[in-house]
This record gives sequence, structure tokens and C-alpha cells, in this order.
Amino acid sequence: MNVAPRYLGRGSWLSRRDPRLLLVALALFVFTVIQVWDLRILAVLAAIAAIYYRSARIPFRAVRIQWFYVLFFITFVVVVNTLLTGGELRGYTEDELHVFFRLPLLGTPISAESVTYAIAQYARFLSMAAFGLPIAYAIAPGDIGPAFARLGVPYKFAYGMELTFRFIPSLGADMQTTIDAQRLRGYEWEKRGRTPIGKLTRTVPLITPVTINAIVGAEDTIDAMDLRGFGTQRRTWLRELAFDRTDRLVLLAFVALLGVVTVLSFSGQTQLWVPPVLVDLAG
Amino acid sequence: MTATTMREEAGAGMWEVTTRVIVYAAIGAALYGVLAFFSILIPGTANVAVRPAFALVTFFGFAFGPIVGFFTGLVGNMIADQISGWGLLTSWNWSVANGLVGLLTGVFGVYLARTIPNRLLLAAVASALAIVIGFLFVITDIWLGTADDLGVALSANYFPVIIANLIASVILTPLLVAAWDPVRESMGR
Amino acid sequence: MPAGPLVEVDGLTFRYRRGPAPVVRDISMAVHPGEVILVAGPSGCGKSTLLRAINGLVPHAYSGELEGAVRIAGRLTTEMRLREISEVVGTLLQDPAKQIVGATVESELAFGPENMGIAPADIRRRMAEVMAETEIGHLGGRDTAHLSGGERQLLAMAGALMLRPRCYVVDEPLANLDPASATRLLDLLRRLADAGHAVVIVEHRVEEALQLAPDRVVAMAEGRVTYDGPVDGFFRVADPDAVKLPFPVVLDRLRGGGVASRAVEPTRVPQQRAADEARVTFDDVHVTLGERQVLRGVDSTLGRRETVAVLGPNGSGKTTLFRTAMGLVQPEAGSVTVDGRDVASTPVAELARSIGYVFQSPSQMLFARTVREELLFGPRNLGLEIGDGDALAIEALTRVGLADEPDILDRPPMTLSFGQQKRLALAIGLALRPRTLILDEPSAGQDYRTAEAFMREVARIPGLESVYFITHDVDLALTHADRILVLRDGRIVADGPPATVVEDAENWHASNLQRTSLMDANLAWDGARGARFLDAHALAAALIARERPTSEGEEEGRRSIDS
Ligand SMILES: Nc1ncnc2c1ncn2[C@@H]1O[C@H](COP(=O)(O)OP(=O)(O)OP(=O)(O)O)[C@@H](O)[C@H]1O
Ligand SMILES: Nc1ncnc2c1ncn2[C@@H]1O[C@H](COP(=O)(O)OP(=O)(O)OP(=O)(O)O)[C@@H](O)[C@H]1O
Ligand SMILES: [Mg+2]
Ligand SMILES: [Mg+2]
Repeated sequence: MNVAPRYLGRGSWLSRRDPRLLLVALALFVFTVIQVWDLRILAVLAAIAAIYYRSARIPFRAVRIQWFYVLFFITFVVVVNTLLTGGELRGYTEDELHVFFRLPLLGTPISAESVTYAIAQYARFLSMAAFGLPIAYAIAPGDIGPAFARLGVPYKFAYGMELTFRFIPSLGADMQTTIDAQRLRGYEWEKRGRTPIGKLTRTVPLITPVTINAIVGAEDTIDAMDLRGFGTQRRTWLRELAFDRTDRLVLLAFVALLGVVTVLSFSGQTQLWVPPVLVDLAG
Repeated sequence: MTATTMREEAGAGMWEVTTRVIVYAAIGAALYGVLAFFSILIPGTANVAVRPAFALVTFFGFAFGPIVGFFTGLVGNMIADQISGWGLLTSWNWSVANGLVGLLTGVFGVYLARTIPNRLLLAAVASALAIVIGFLFVITDIWLGTADDLGVALSANYFPVIIANLIASVILTPLLVAAWDPVRESMGR
Repeated sequence: MPAGPLVEVDGLTFRYRRGPAPVVRDISMAVHPGEVILVAGPSGCGKSTLLRAINGLVPHAYSGELEGAVRIAGRLTTEMRLREISEVVGTLLQDPAKQIVGATVESELAFGPENMGIAPADIRRRMAEVMAETEIGHLGGRDTAHLSGGERQLLAMAGALMLRPRCYVVDEPLANLDPASATRLLDLLRRLADAGHAVVIVEHRVEEALQLAPDRVVAMAEGRVTYDGPVDGFFRVADPDAVKLPFPVVLDRLRGGGVASRAVEPTRVPQQRAADEARVTFDDVHVTLGERQVLRGVDSTLGRRETVAVLGPNGSGKTTLFRTAMGLVQPEAGSVTVDGRDVASTPVAELARSIGYVFQSPSQMLFARTVREELLFGPRNLGLEIGDGDALAIEALTRVGLADEPDILDRPPMTLSFGQQKRLALAIGLALRPRTLILDEPSAGQDYRTAEAFMREVARIPGLESVYFITHDVDLALTHADRILVLRDGRIVADGPPATVVEDAENWHASNLQRTSLMDANLAWDGARGARFLDAHALAAALIARERPTSEGEEEGRRSIDS
């Protein structure tokens, strides 16, 4: 089971940035996007996201599945919201809507507004995903700990982060071994029980050995860390991180962006904006 | 001369951050992140997908304390989102909710220990309470725009997720505890 | 400097908090700078516990009842902090995969110094020195996840060196290492000792550990020191069945009648040399895992009635070869057939009924609450006729010599000792009554006696036609198999009976394998006749038999030759 995201963005422009920048930029951008519903602004943000994503030079084949998953999930969110709200939208009453048609059976109105809303959702989540992916592919494995530490995360937990990424590939391999061992005993994960409960309990032969072995194996890891003085004092990090001019500029840009958008949203200018064309279409 | 140890067993001090805690936390997070993509759609329901791996959040919280539980839920969910492509922080509030559940399981596990002597039952109850309370945090979806109003937040997010995770945790967490306890005894730690 | 003892153990007795009784009793020993001390003894006799007492894990990380005193450079460990001890004592544990905490080689090396709060510049300087010392410069920049077993162990050792301790304690570092990697590690330890450091090493593979030229051997049994002195003295007292001694020593011991010469059972599965049909056939098999080409064109046929040992360097593809045979890995080119059926189109569980597979680490399949459930899991999945589950379970356990453990059926499998888990895994593989058995490193992590007993039990299993096993223990392969496959870089580079395979010395060494005293003795002995090699005991008996034509030794010799 090969689950470990590999350092595929190595050498790209983004991978040469300070890892802290990637984390902070992501946070700033997420908080920018979630304030915006206006398609015009979202278009700008999406463009920024696209450029940012390209600068990590992640080969598409490596993340194809991820993108499909994201699209699927957004569609899911949009549909569920549209249905559950009966097509109504915040700040709109039924008669304000410019309805195209109503869904058969449910009678949910599909309007210029709800379509705009849907497009907005896609723009919001796709751009956030575009900002998220580089974290996995454009940060060197060894940089994760120092990055979080220098962002103010207590050093033990910062190291915990690094350790987590260290464990992912080996646990993936253990999982594979266990799956194989059980298949040899006639166990097939695909052949699941009928009831939900049955399905659940069928995961026990996989999850239990992997978990218990990981915990038992941890004894050695703990000893090895204690024996090299982990946690006995504030630790230094071999990797010295420093923002260069580019990093500062990029950071500044994102702070500014957040600032501007926040001001706009407080002055109510980031609300849903329905393109006239759609309204006309609805007639 | 006799010198018995000066170091307390981990868990004695629930909030003590030892090497042990960090390593267990990292393992929990990695396991949850890796196994999260196994999921089972419950037939009949619109959007209830059970993540068996969620039981790891409550198990690690219960077995190794609130800090381990919180880290397992928070970081594990972020990694799951990252691996799936959703993005580390896109649903950061859900990661926090996961973390809270792990944390609460640890706390309840300790404070209900006297009232519920049976370890397995205790594990189930602690997990259930933690899930019901911890996931209230996903109501923040209203503010983040994933849900339009409280109604949606509850019906589309809160209830499905607690139903799914209650199923996973109440069944699997006791099973994991039952597997772990005797091993812990034999390791003598 | 006038060397006072670096480590001083004085009347040490320790009981683990949850343990019923002390596991080391009244141990006293001293380690001086420049000394190499080999600690030997059967599983569970307390070797690791002794090391833990020296590096401070006992009592700092393992709570319990400690009596006596352990002094590091004159100070009581109980009055030092773990980090202070770790500046004097460096530790290497058995499983490198578990003690490596860094994601990359650099972060692993830096780990210790970082914790000590050393400045990055100094860490880098030190790192350069250590990488040169340990000759791992070529690993720079690699992810630790992608290192081979041997590379990992060297890296772990380098990690310990980074703190510049004066004494090293090393716990079974050779398990799972191919002989060449083992030698590299031992050479490193030797250099450290020559440079004035002290080394305390626990190892079951005694003959290889002797490359270290230890100054003293400390033999332990049931928590007590039974011998502490020079190597040759140890040879005179050690039990050749419990510890694997160099062949000449075994010979002398038998000559001197120092050992009750035991009857030599035939360790081989009954043979039908003539026209052996195929069980597993590899036809130009290529396998790629991740980016890595692991198997590059394997052609071979494993017979229905033979015992085959697979040797080869770490990472050469041995495990992958058999995983492919079981249909767990799909070849990208070529095909594998089992009993004439194409593996690709046969359910894995079907294959499992004709071939039992015992994994390297047994615990990775154990999940059930009790040994009983664990044993019945397979048969249930395949809807076999179980009847009274207990009967079936007991029978399986009997075949692997676990049946007489107290209330074994109801014990949680994960609480068994490593050796017992290995046997349980074997029993699980046998539950489906396969006619062939595949064992991945059956001897790793077990002491000599246990490993040998394990192989003998396997050979005695009724209805078993063939055994294929992977190992790094050359002697184990040569004495238990009548055919040797050597795998290197995903290709088979040697194939044949022991005597012929080892003839090609060049190829042998190129495959990270080494000559052993037993191997040389077998070759020197005309009785080999290209058949399976005799184990030390049998060969010694045979040789003695020839010296004294009219003695019971002769029959024994014959028996062993014919077997
Ligand atoms: N943490 C622990 N708590 C309780 N008992 C323990 C603990 N660790 C080891 N023991 C027991 O102490 C005894 C000695 O263990 P130890 O690991 O020192 O033996 P060993 O000589 O290293 O064995 P091996 O050669 O298999 O490694 C064993 O019976 C073991 O079960
Ligand atoms: N799932 C995987 N993805 C990528 N590489 C893998 C995977 N599994 C194994 N490998 C690599 O394939 C090579 C062969 O592995 P294999 O386990 O067959 O070697 P081996 O001969 O059994 O080694 P050892 O003697 O150490 O057990 C190793 O270098 C290993 O790192
Ligand atoms: Mg040991
Ligand atoms: Mg192998």
C-alpha cells in the first residue's frame, strides 16, 4: 500500500520557498476564500490559486485521483445543500429567485441564484484544494518538524508532526503485509458482510494487527528517542529556516489579499453576485 | 540498596507530555490518516459513510490519554484530507472536531472509570459521549459556508457524522481495547 | 588515561514492575575502555535487560525493583538523568526500522545532537565526520523509508555515534542482516574499540560475532552470569546445542567427550530424487514495486519434493519472489504457475491450500482474542469442515510443539513470546493442510537451539512434501536444504546442491555471503558427495567415527551421512 505522498515538487519554485510560507499562505488563503461568494472576486482568487499550484510543478498523474475525489465531494456538498435548503439561499426569499425550472418530484427550484451559488462553491473548494496539495508535494520530508516549530508549535509536537510523516510509509507497508497475510487465510476485504455491522467487524482482522503491532513496535522507537535525550530540553533544529526577499513579498501579498477581502466582506461586497446573463436566461 | 524507579507510568499524569505520548500520538495520526480512506456507505441513508478507522481516534484517546487522542484526531484527519486531495486546511474545523473527540474520549475514559468498572463498556460509553459532544464543533460550517444554515449544518453534517462514527467507535473501540489490554499487561509497561 | 572501568555492574538484580520475579540476579561485571564484551545466552535469559540497566532505560524508562548498583564512569545510573547517561553510553537496538526516527538520513543523524541543543553548524561538522567514519556518505539525502535492512542498521549505528559516547551497547544487531552487511557493522564496532571505546554486544550469531575478537565473553542463563572470561575458556564450557560454536570447537568438544553425543535425526523431508514434478514454476518473472525493479527475469522450477533454501543480499527480492508465487504480487511480465495452474487466475486462498506461507514477522497476522479463534479463522473463511474446533486447533498446535503450553487455546496470541508466535504462525499455515511450506527467515531473532528445533519440527510434519525457506544464516541453509538458490539484484545467480553452489567462491562473495567454518569442514570432508551438508554435530561425529573405526561413533556417523 503506497500511500506516502512523495516529494514530487522537488526543485520547483514553490519547493524553494521557506516551508513555513507554504503553511502560512495556505492558512491566509483559506481564510480569504471562505469570506467570498462574489463570482468576480472568486475568479481572481481561483486564478491566484492556479498560478500558485502550477509553481509547485506536481505531475498530474500523481494527483489525478485526488482531483477526481475533490470534484466528486464538492458536487456532493452542492447537491445536498441545494436539496436540503429546498433551493433557497441565504438572503433570498422564494419570490426573489429567478427560477429556471423545478426539479421533478421534489419541486426544488433551480434558479439563477442557486446555479451561481453552485459555481461559487466549486471555485471556492477547487482553489483551496489547489493550495492544499503543494503542502504534501513541495515540502521536503525533513522540513516539516522545523517548519511547525518555527511557527510556534511546541517543539515536542512539532517533532510529533515529523514523526507522523516518518511513520506513514512504514505503516502503509505493514498494512499491505497484514492484508496479504489474511488473504492467505481466505480473508478478502472486498467480500464484505451484508449488514453495516458485519461490514465493520470484517475490518477487525486488518485494523487490529496493524494497530497493536504499531503500538508494540513503538517501544523500541520510544527507547531510541529517550536514549538520545529527546524532550529533556528545548531542542535545536539542523534545518535553519530563513525567509528570503521573495518569501517576504509573497507573504506580504497574501496578508494584503486577506486584508482587502476582509474589508470588502465587512462592507458586504463579497456576497453572492448573480451574473446578469443568468438572470436574463431565467427571464 | 534499593532504588525503585522515579519515572511514573505514562497516563498517570493525564496531561504530561512524555516521549511515549509523542510517539503514540504520531502513530495514531499516521494510522488514522492512512486507513481513513476505507469507508462503508450505509445503505438507505443519503450520506452516511462509516470510516472504520475513526475508531482509532477514540481508541488512542481512550488508551493513551487526551493529548494522544487530540493529536490523532486533528493531525490524522488533516493527513486524510491531504492524501485524499481535499487539502490540509480546507475543512480544518472538521479536523478540530476530530481532535476534540479524541481528547474528550481520553478525559471521559479517566473520569468515568469509577462509575463504569467494565473497561470495554467504559470504552464504548466514553467514545459515544465524546462523539456526540465533540462533533458539535462542525456547526462552524455555517460560518465557513459549507452549510447554509443551522438546519443544514445539523441535518447534512452533524447528524450523519455522529451516526456514522458512533457505529464505528462503539463497535470497534472496545474490540481494540480488548486486543490491547492483555498485550500491555504482558509487556509490563 | 589510566582506565578505571567505564561501566561497573555490581550485584545487579532487577524485577520488572509487572514481572513476577527478578529476570537478572546478582550480576557483576566491569567494562573497561577499549574492551569488547560478547554477551551470550538463550532467549529470555535477561541479556536485553542487562543492556537496559547499562544504558539507563532500567530503571529510568522501565520501572521495577532494582538492587545493587550500575556505575557509568563512576556515577550511579540511578542518580544520573537519562540524557547524561546517553552522553557516555550509545545504544543500538535489534530492529533498525523501529529505532530510526528521522524521515531522511540527515534528520536521523541530527536527532541526538538536536535534542542536546547543539548548534546546527556543529551538528553538520559532526555529521560529516560520522558519515566518513561509518562509510555511509553515499546515503546522504536518501529517505530512510527506502533504505535496505543493512543500510538502516548502519545508519542507526551512525545515529548513536553522533553523540560521541565512549561505550556502546548493541543488542542483536545482526538479526535480518546479510553476512556482508553484518561484517561491515562488526568492522565498525571493532574500529571503535580500537579507538578506545568500549563495546558490549549481545548476539546469537556467535561465530560471526567472533569477527569482533571479543576480549571477554559473558555467558548468561536464567538471569545469572554462568561464565565471564576469555573466548577460548567460553568454548570449553559452552553447550554446542545452545550456542552456535565454530566447527573446530565443536569437533574438539566431541573428541574430548565433553558433550553427550546426541543421536542425529535426519532433518530432511523424505526425498524422491528421481523425476520430481514441479510445484512452483517461475517463467521469466519481472516485478516492479513503486519505482523499483525488484525481480528482473526469474526462471526457476521448485520441485514437489525438495527442500530449497533461498539466500541473497538484503533487498535482493527474496521475499518478493515468494509473494509473487502466492499471487500477492502481480508480475508485470512473465508468469508463475503452482501445480500447473496459472497463479494470476487462481484465488490466493486456493494457493494457500497447497502452499503454506509463514511470514518473517509472525505477529502481523494475529488479531483474534484467543489462539483458538486465531487457528480457526482460516478454515472458517474457506468454509472447511471444522467439526469440534478444539480438536482441529489442538492438532495443529501439536504439530508445532505448542500443545502442552498451559491453557494455550485461550491465551491472546499477541501475548506469546516471539518464538511461540513464530510457531503459532506455522500452525496457522498448516491449518489448511498444505503440502508445501514457505518460511521467510525462520531463524531470525531466535536463539540457536530454538531455531534448530524449529527446523527439525518442520521437517517432521506429516504429509509435508517440500519446504522452501529464505534465510541469511548460511549454515542453516547448507545443512537443512538440498538445493540452494542465490538471488542477487532480482536475478538468480546460483542454483544447485550446497556443495556445487559454494564452489563458485567469487559468486558466493559477490552475493554478500561468506564462508563458515562448518562449510569449509563439510567441503574438506569427502563424505559430502554433493548432497546436503551435515550440521556441526553430525559432521564431527562422522569425522570422529572415521578416526576410531570401531566405536559407536561410526554408526552414528553413517546414520548421519545416509540421512
Ligand atoms: N518490560 C517488561 N516487563 C516484564 N517482563 C519483561 C519485560 N521485558 C522483558 N521481560 C521478561 O524478562 C525476561 C528477560 O527478557 P530479556 O529481553 O532481557 O531476555 P533476552 O535474553 O534479551 O531474550 P532475547 O534473546 O529473546 O532477546 C523475559 O522472560 C521477558 O519476558
Ligand atoms: N511496496 C514496495 N514498494 C517499493 N519498494 C518495495 C516494496 N516492497 C519492497 N520493496 C523493495 O524491494 C526490494 C526487495 O524487497 P524484498 O523484501 O523482496 O527483499 P529481501 O530479499 O526480502 O530483503 P531482506 O533480506 O532484507 O528481507 C527492497 O529494496 C525493498 O525496499
Ligand atoms: Mg533481547
Ligand atoms: Mg525479506
